[in-house]
Amino acid sequence: MPITIDTTRFGELEIETEAVIEFPTGLIGLGGSRYALLANDETSAIVWLQSLEDPSLALPVTNPGRFFTDYYVELSDAEATRIGITDPDLADVYVTVRATEMLEDCTANLRAPILISRGRGHQVINESEFAPMRAPLFPGTREKATAA
Amino acid sequence: MLIITRRPGERIMLGDDITIHVMEIVGNSARVGIEAPKSLPVYREEIWAAVKEENQASARVEADRIANPASDAGARV
Repeated sequence: MPITIDTTRFGELEIETEAVIEFPTGLIGLGGSRYALLANDETSAIVWLQSLEDPSLALPVTNPGRFFTDYYVELSDAEATRIGITDPDLADVYVTVRATEMLEDCTANLRAPILISRGRGHQVINESEFAPMRAPLFPGTREKATAA
Repeated sequence: MLIITRRPGERIMLGDDITIHVMEIVGNSARVGIEAPKSLPVYREEIWAAVKEENQASARVEADRIANPASDAGARV
């Protein structure tokens, strides 16, 4: 049975049951226990993590590998035990995007990635060395003002 | 706020399942041990607050600013 939700941003959407992602502890500071990923098409760089409980709550997220080739997630033992994912490579990884008017000011939060595996999602703290909370998505776009 | 004075080696119970150990105090730092159910996330407050702020800022963006998945009729993973 698909779920129908009348979202604030995207209007009425039908979400297949298989597409529902359970977040046992929600997103940090935002809560929520059920979300779904929405995309324009398979190649969209930015997809939306839409809450299925709060129609107005949705966060743009992206696969960090598309923008940060050396990015990896390192979990503390406690965090790995908590979420039951010992190897982050085996999960789908997304990072939240902070979008602004200016493309060059758009950033991604590499410190708190969202790992999704087998229908469950967890926002975790990345212990790796390269994990800024606001990593520019388009460094160098300042010179190419028309890129947007 | 409840305020409790503890010495190093003493503990505080939060309910039956969460134990806060005051392990040692060196200078102006307190080492604290936390025993909690493994399903409970534990964060340093400043990191939790910063991530919360980033999540909220991310969620404030309107769809037309980036890409509207509904424009292509339908959601998909």
